[in-house]
Amino acid sequence: MTNMTKHNGPSREWLLKMADGEDAVQSTSVGGMAANLGVLPPVAAESQRVFGRLIEFARRARGLSVEQLATHADVDLAEIVDIEREDHFIPTPRTVYQLAQVLNLPSGRLTEVAGLTTPRSDVSAAALKFAARSEPTATLSAAEREAFEEFVKVLVEATDGG
Amino acid sequence: MTDVPLHIQRRADGSWIEAQILEGVKPPDLIVVEGEWAAERSQVMQELLKQGVPRPNWPQSLHWDWRKKAPQLKLLASAGFGLVSEKRWQGVMLTLTEPYATQLNQDKGKPLLYIDYLEIAPWNWAIPAIGQVGQFRGIGSILFWKAIRQSQEEGFHGRVGLHALPQAELFYEKICRMTPLGRDPSKQNLLYLELSRIEAERHLKEDNKS
Repeated sequence: MTNMTKHNGPSREWLLKMADGEDAVQSTSVGGMAANLGVLPPVAAESQRVFGRLIEFARRARGLSVEQLATHADVDLAEIVDIEREDHFIPTPRTVYQLAQVLNLPSGRLTEVAGLTTPRSDVSAAALKFAARSEPTATLSAAEREAFEEFVKVLVEATDGG
Repeated sequence: MTDVPLHIQRRADGSWIEAQILEGVKPPDLIVVEGEWAAERSQVMQELLKQGVPRPNWPQSLHWDWRKKAPQLKLLASAGFGLVSEKRWQGVMLTLTEPYATQLNQDKGKPLLYIDYLEIAPWNWAIPAIGQVGQFRGIGSILFWKAIRQSQEEGFHGRVGLHALPQAELFYEKICRMTPLGRDPSKQNLLYLELSRIEAERHLKEDNKS
């Protein structure tokens, strides 16, 4: 690293005035390529909501924290949080595949649930039923576990049956 | 890499600390940046979750992974700048000198410096909802100042363009006096703003006067 002084930085007075302005707003972040950043939600989709709930249940059923799931699946922690909490968040195919591996779910059917591919009608029906019976709580209740297991069964059967 | 010496203000006690704007930031530097910032971002996220802060109020750049921006620095028209103090990266900016041209009437079609990314370190974020005040003030402003200077050096007379994240629109329009030129469907409807050469000169005059 060479040290070549070109000119000093801004004056303290100018900087203080600007910093006051900066303090009054939420952010100074610029992201011209934000299309790749997932920072703005696209149109709402039921499938993402069901997918998020399914991932959350599968994670809790295995006793994993969000951080542990992110580590095991090699997926950004923020993405897992968004999958579980944001109804509008669309995961990448890689993320869906990684989660399927860690949570022992069929990856092909999981991409259908995530809305990345067109779901079979039996998967759609099972997803709707699952969504109707699941509520986000700290631990899986017996009813939730039953709903989760039923849904996974449909996913596995749909996979086995082609 | 070359550096521009300056001082930045610590929020806690108002003291001024030595810092440098580094020019010529390279892809390996961004990997270091990500190494420093990722753990901090994760902590911020945990705290946001714990406090039940609604997702729309989270910092909108929480997802960014600077390692993914590294390939961009291989482009000839791109440049990277970092603000470093206390041996830590306090802010980073990536710029492009093409293919952007100003849309403002007085200089329409003339080149400008486009800020592709600008972000300050997570420990400098002020997030009242989790009681985080931010360590250093004005980091975004210094990088903005650097963009104006760089634009001058490129012969662009201080003209700067950028797409602001929604939480940052107010800063660039009201504090930096950039002109909003509408939402850009090709950039997820982010607001595109430009700094005219007249406003750039005003900023530098105010800087010199003070």
